[in-house]
Amino acid sequence: MTAETQRDKPGKTDETMKRYLETGNFAVAQAAVMAGCRAFCGYPITPATEIAEAMSKLLPRVGGYYVQAEDETAAMHLAIGASLGGMKSMTATSGPGFILYADPYGWAIGCEVPLVVLNAQRVGPVSGITGAPGQGEFYLSRYVTQGGNFETIVLAPGTAQEAFALTIEAFYLSERFRTPVTILADQLITDGWEDLSIPETEEEKRLMGLKFFERRAHPGPKFYPPTDEIDVPPVVLGMGAGALCSDWTPTEEGYDIETVEAQHKHAYRLIYKIRNHKDIIMRSETLFLDEEPDLVVVAYGTPSRVVKTAVKRAHERGQSIGMIRPISLWPFPEELFKSRATYLSVELNYDGQMVREIQRAAPCGSEVHFFGKCGELPTVSELQEVFDKLLKGEPLQRRGWETEAW
Amino acid sequence: MDYLATKYLRSRKIPSSACSGCGLGQCHKALVKAIDDLGYERNDIIWGTSIGCAGRQTFATWKGDSFAGTHGRVYAIARGLRLALAPEKRLVLTVGDGDAFGIGFNHLLHAVRTNAQMTVMVCDNLGYQSTGGQYGWTTPPGVVTDSSPYGMFEPNWVQPGRDVLMILKEAGATFLARHVSMDGGVLVETLRKALRNNGFSLVHVVYPCTTNFGKNALGSRKPVDIFRWIKSHAKPLGLEKEDTIWRTGIYLDASNSRPEFSQFMREKVEEIRRRHGNEGAH
Repeated sequence: MTAETQRDKPGKTDETMKRYLETGNFAVAQAAVMAGCRAFCGYPITPATEIAEAMSKLLPRVGGYYVQAEDETAAMHLAIGASLGGMKSMTATSGPGFILYADPYGWAIGCEVPLVVLNAQRVGPVSGITGAPGQGEFYLSRYVTQGGNFETIVLAPGTAQEAFALTIEAFYLSERFRTPVTILADQLITDGWEDLSIPETEEEKRLMGLKFFERRAHPGPKFYPPTDEIDVPPVVLGMGAGALCSDWTPTEEGYDIETVEAQHKHAYRLIYKIRNHKDIIMRSETLFLDEEPDLVVVAYGTPSRVVKTAVKRAHERGQSIGMIRPISLWPFPEELFKSRATYLSVELNYDGQMVREIQRAAPCGSEVHFFGKCGELPTVSELQEVFDKLLKGEPLQRRGWETEAW
Repeated sequence: MDYLATKYLRSRKIPSSACSGCGLGQCHKALVKAIDDLGYERNDIIWGTSIGCAGRQTFATWKGDSFAGTHGRVYAIARGLRLALAPEKRLVLTVGDGDAFGIGFNHLLHAVRTNAQMTVMVCDNLGYQSTGGQYGWTTPPGVVTDSSPYGMFEPNWVQPGRDVLMILKEAGATFLARHVSMDGGVLVETLRKALRNNGFSLVHVVYPCTTNFGKNALGSRKPVDIFRWIKSHAKPLGLEKEDTIWRTGIYLDASNSRPEFSQFMREKVEEIRRRHGNEGAH
């Protein structure tokens, strides 16, 4: 076993692939078209606008549609409509638009509509700082709508290359699980320029580990089975199946019904189709966990890149340290938090959102600490300072809002 | 069941769960009759609805495909769906006054702007009745509801000089009409014309609610009282009287005069594809 493990880390490349110096936005648009997306419905918002712009250019060339909506609520509903008509569809936004998705998310989750949503997180609340990275929608991406009784699938890329692979993965999962899949990126992933390889041949796609899933259409009449099974074709309207879908609790055929029994069946499906097939979704990267380190640093998205450098350096210096980087963020990968240790969550927010999940997942006797930055990345030296203190068992001193809001 | 119901509607949804004396059935039947007159089959039409009385009672009544959007969003879902559907399929929406002229108005306007094919029947029971009877955007002046206990004193959207149909006309609709549910054959004739328009059609139909509106506004739950009251305040365009609230008839028929949304999208995409399709992905 190598010290560095990557559980299905997406995006393997090789030197023969076509390379670009490009943004994550470019990578996402390329991936969406490759995955078969033929309708993109959006609303301009920094820092996700360039995805919309790229899709407006790319889609007509392959017979697809770009629609600019009157607002984000409409954008996601338009994408839902296109998906209901049998097209793979997508929308992308940032925090202030993501909150307006709450309404259509509920509809898409309840009616089990395959769809891909990207959120390029910036600094909030509300408009906050538009052009800087944040990680304020960790929980919002889990509880995207009201009412409860559902699980969500959220993928968190750490590089433009990974944003490419995870966009294709998001389309794949959305078809298999019949649900909207969220890509939780941040401003640095979408706006940042990076070395990017794009596969062109089938062999290159295979090498990269990309998986594709064609749209199918449910023949009816039991459109909503009360089971946890996946790979059930979604409802597609206009095929003559007598399909039904609505915002009300459905019977198995899709009729509106208000009984606790029907609601229980519906909720069971929405929760357990995802929980019971979590192994298909789970992706992560870890460092040195097999050494049972005293300190385990946890980070996702852009800050995980600095954390990775800092952890490797600390390890070289002989410190007992490891790292967990969730790539699939929801369902939360609690399986990775097996050992009793001191955990440190490094996030781009000041309120320590992932701390609660780590506390929930870590064994009794573990400690969970927090180091937060917002609008900018932590530095390796800042992180090293925090590692040293924690490994010596010294309390973290609070510096502004950055450390130990907990 | 009559022949129309047998041919087009799901037996499970008959009789409907609407209140006794509700006029929604008149609207629903007129629309199904117009569909039958034009020879459409169940799979020619995708039927969308909203929430509230009009949406809930008509959802899943159609034997073909049927969907219901959340509050006000059905126009956005329908516009996305319109892009993906085969051009010959027809979208029909039955929605309420609160949905179309309140919470969904922004989305409605953009469906109008793009002339997206959908025949929208706004079934107007003069306020929010399924939530117990609060005033809405078409509630007549002075009417007492649960949320206008001193009488409705806000401007509404069916008064001369502030008619919602005029807004929709300026926004680019290609067919607009207003009726009351007791208009019978005249209403069916209007709906036939609305359905023949390959573009955005809206037919606003006022219908009686006995349970809440009748009780609050007229002090009576007797169907005959509210049916008479609505009929007496409706007159065809040009024959208005002083106490006319609803001027009925076709306000605009510019059917098939402008490109339909999905049609111009398809044509434009085809043109771009011809010009740029071989230029690669970036």
